[in-house]
Amino acid sequence: MDTATHMLRTGRRGALFQLQMAFRDLTNSFQRLGLAWSLATHDVGSRYRGSILGPFWITLSMGLMVLGIGVLYASLFNLPLNEFLPYVALGIVFFGVMTGTINEGCDTFVQAAGMLSQTSLPMFTFVWRTIFRNLINLLHHLVIVVGMLVYFDAWRDANPLQAAAGVLLMLLNAGWASLLAGIASARYRDIPPIVVSVMQFAIFMTPVFWLPDRFGKHQVFLDWNPFYHLLQAVRAPLLGQAVAPQTYVVLVLMAIFGWLVTFTIFARTRRRIVHYL
Amino acid sequence: MTTASITCTDLTIRFPVYGADAKSLKKALARAVSVGGVLGRHAGVTDVTALSHVNLQLKAGDRLGLIGHNGSGKTTLLRALSGAYEPDEGTIEVQGRIAALLDLSLGIDPSATGYENIRLRGRIAGLSSREIEERMDEIADFTGLGPFLAMPVKTYSAGMQGRLAFAAATAVEADVLLMDEWIAVGDQDFQKLAHKRLLKLVERAGILVLATHEVPLLKLYCNKVMRMEGGVASEVVDIRKLDQLLAD
Repeated sequence: MDTATHMLRTGRRGALFQLQMAFRDLTNSFQRLGLAWSLATHDVGSRYRGSILGPFWITLSMGLMVLGIGVLYASLFNLPLNEFLPYVALGIVFFGVMTGTINEGCDTFVQAAGMLSQTSLPMFTFVWRTIFRNLINLLHHLVIVVGMLVYFDAWRDANPLQAAAGVLLMLLNAGWASLLAGIASARYRDIPPIVVSVMQFAIFMTPVFWLPDRFGKHQVFLDWNPFYHLLQAVRAPLLGQAVAPQTYVVLVLMAIFGWLVTFTIFARTRRRIVHYL
Repeated sequence: MTTASITCTDLTIRFPVYGADAKSLKKALARAVSVGGVLGRHAGVTDVTALSHVNLQLKAGDRLGLIGHNGSGKTTLLRALSGAYEPDEGTIEVQGRIAALLDLSLGIDPSATGYENIRLRGRIAGLSSREIEERMDEIADFTGLGPFLAMPVKTYSAGMQGRLAFAAATAVEADVLLMDEWIAVGDQDFQKLAHKRLLKLVERAGILVLATHEVPLLKLYCNKVMRMEGGVASEVVDIRKLDQLLAD
């Protein structure tokens, strides 16, 4: 058993102490990653309980959507299918993982209310749960990604290592956004619909279904769209395209700044989150 | 095991109660932009002092009964001891592995099968998958649910759900056992089984803290008793002085 055998809780305050306790929460959560994984697999399993295909539905419904949108938009915009279909597939899959991590972040603590109010489990356990759940989804979607790249013979140009780094950067950024959404949603019940609206808007503002060169003189909207950079860091390497250096600058800065702010908020609200629920 | 101990010094816990109002962002924003926000700043957030300067010292072998009216702070104290609530003032120190049986439905997913729920509950309690499989037969046997364990929990009757939850929740060895309200589980046969199991658990656990209204139960499980009233705790006294404590 890996449960703690010594517990000390004090009413001590002060920014430094709160930060220290927040770090302890994080490090303790590493020892309970197994639990987070169990909860995440249970979540995915129970969503498709009783269905014949089970979690394979994740792959199938995504595949159908990618095919539908890909074929439709390719003919609307007069684009070659063999270029556009992999592009759309990668876009929808990875944007979906990002959206999922952030949207489901809203439920992270609300969903765990029962456990949080009678155990000393680290708060971060539930953040990992949300992230793992979306990683499991991504693994199911990868079948489509790999299938597309192989079918359209685009895999020769792909740079999977660089794309993996992109996924890491994407998760690092979606991670803080997810935690921030979780804290805010526990406190204010208006947050989840706001988050969903923003993410819904973002998918249309970002070149997911359409090509970035269509933006023309409005290029500035792309440069300042964080979701574009997040997506580009994963999609471009897989399509054999170069990633602009400024994309990495934006992502790294955003990750650092985002985690600094979010972790500070987490440190300040950590002991209160259980009362929000 | 003999090292189990609980020490609360000057433990004070205040709850901010966020009304439906306070959870609305609109209200919060309105407050932030309104002039002279001092008055309205805490509108909708009420501080309730759930525990006030509680001092408590328990060592291995102590089996403490918590008595007091509804809302007197018994559950809050148990939750604080479980590590869920942090003190606003004072300290809580607990040595030993804590098992809190506060809410039997913890981690129970109605759409999952009995077996899956036992696994889930065990994982939350800190058991590894292997430890759970090792105990599975014993737990399954104890529930007495037989083939029903392979069916979704939502098809169970309330009594069957209670059996499952109780069996899963008590499968973990602990040095400090926290229990809230005696939840009558299952039929008479199961009550007897549950009673035996709890006695064993109490013997094995270094410390028991039990909140209950039932005097016979107190006398059965506890050797010490403490009375809570409006968040203030009495002295810890021997169970033999229970009548005196109740009379006060």
